[in-house]
Amino acid sequence: MIELLQISRGGSGGVTGAKILAEAAMYEGLDSQAIPKYGAERRGAKVEAYVRFDTSPIRIHSPVYNPTHAMVLDSSLIKSLEIDKVSKDGIIMINSSHIPDFLKGTNRKVAYVDATSISKELGLVVSGFTLTNVTMLGCFAKATGIIKIENIEKAIEKTLGAKIAPKNIEAARRAYEKTKVEIA
Amino acid sequence: MAEEVVMLTGNHSVSEAVKRVKPDVIAAYPITPQTAIIEYLSKLVDSGEMDSHFIRVESEHSALAAVAGASWAGARTFTATSSQGLLYMGEWVFWTGYARLPVVMAVVNRCLAPGWSIWVDLQDSMAFRDAGWIQIYNKNNQEVFDTTIQSYKIAESKDIALPVMPCLDGFVLSHTSSKVILSDPEEVYNFVGDYSDPIIEIDTGKPFAYGSIVMPDKYNKDRKDLMEAMERAKAKIKAVNKEFSETFGRTYGNGLIEKYGDDDADLTIVGIGTMADETQQAIDMLTSEGLKVNSVRVRTFRPFPTEDIIDIAKKNHKLLVIDRSVSFGHEGHLQMEIESVLKRNSIDTPVIGKVMGLGGEDVPYTRIAKVAKENL
Repeated sequence: MIELLQISRGGSGGVTGAKILAEAAMYEGLDSQAIPKYGAERRGAKVEAYVRFDTSPIRIHSPVYNPTHAMVLDSSLIKSLEIDKVSKDGIIMINSSHIPDFLKGTNRKVAYVDATSISKELGLVVSGFTLTNVTMLGCFAKATGIIKIENIEKAIEKTLGAKIAPKNIEAARRAYEKTKVEIA
Repeated sequence: MAEEVVMLTGNHSVSEAVKRVKPDVIAAYPITPQTAIIEYLSKLVDSGEMDSHFIRVESEHSALAAVAGASWAGARTFTATSSQGLLYMGEWVFWTGYARLPVVMAVVNRCLAPGWSIWVDLQDSMAFRDAGWIQIYNKNNQEVFDTTIQSYKIAESKDIALPVMPCLDGFVLSHTSSKVILSDPEEVYNFVGDYSDPIIEIDTGKPFAYGSIVMPDKYNKDRKDLMEAMERAKAKIKAVNKEFSETFGRTYGNGLIEKYGDDDADLTIVGIGTMADETQQAIDMLTSEGLKVNSVRVRTFRPFPTEDIIDIAKKNHKLLVIDRSVSFGHEGHLQMEIESVLKRNSIDTPVIGKVMGLGGEDVPYTRIAKVAKENL
């Protein structure tokens, strides 16, 4: 079982991104779950979502407490990540042009890409929010290797529809190509 | 159109099932966490993908009154609610059950206020366990889809004629996406059949008084009939589960309960809803440690699977019953029923009860395993 913790800000599409990722896992032949954590969400506030992947049917319904990997869609939220809870073998994925100071010296595997710039270049901005949810899925595919980028693209197409999918697919592809993985 | 495999929330799993069953009348009022079921259905009606008559109402009380009236007029109906909404429907919940109207109402389980909360426990639907409705509790989104379909076949059987409440854990299922096989719409519709020969149909050509005063002897006969219909429903639910399995290849225990693990266990964990699904994970963990444990998920709370509980209690050594609802001043609802079944049948298998997971409190399998060990 592989478990992902995703941290984002309300309004940036994190919940939709988690669902697309779970769908991509399904195309990969895995069983999967996308669990949004509901509470007092409001735009701009920290929002968590969890995604589970397994080769056998998943019977766990709890939130994820000790994720294999963590993905942070907004680099200003990195300090809210409890690194000790993330598996030592896991990858911390972050929307950032560089490894944040907070992670330096942790000896953790960090995957980073400037998803905000990619999304902005492609005009993925809604009501002032730059949508980095789908862009970061490219980072996930590259860094973890769990899901092929083709299956991520298929899930984006299916979820977002022919009209808005192309730009998002392009964003995920660019992030896939630009993601760097280093030990922090 | 053939079978589709999709990522779907529990709420939309209900909607997709309802879409295939083609109810004549839908009425509902929004309430978290149910709202998405009805939103999706109203969209389908609006776009013409569904041919149902969608009645917008001002409250849950009116929603159930509207579908009960439509059901009386011979229509296939659907509504959905949660928590406070279900409470507000209260009068009509009993009316629908006592009138034996084959209404299907999805209940997305959410705890009751105060404190104000939106998360799951089963207190809302359990409060209506005595209202003459069949209640089926689900473990995952696939079962939610399948049970919603089965509910119509059970409710609309002339020898049953009872409303059915498919219940799903709020958020844990309603808002979580997972893989769901959506069976071919035509196959689903054929499985349920049309409702052209309704159980009851108000005919203005033959005027008749409904809901008028009933003397005690007739009243008691009606309630006895209801009791007997519930008893017959056990065999019907099992038969529908079997037929469903033969048609679609998916099955849920014997329809009334789902067992996991080998008999002759030192401890059997009995539960309901998603917590009972998660319990299976705990069983695997405990079994790998060499412990003799197994589990039972109660799928239908009404009618209660009395015979299965007797069988389980006889074949195992101790029962740990985990409830997600409680009768204040007494104990958990499942525990209450199980103890009564055992006492009535002079079975002395010890029963331990735990109430867990109220108000959305998370109960991971590790905690279930810990409680099991403490009680072994």
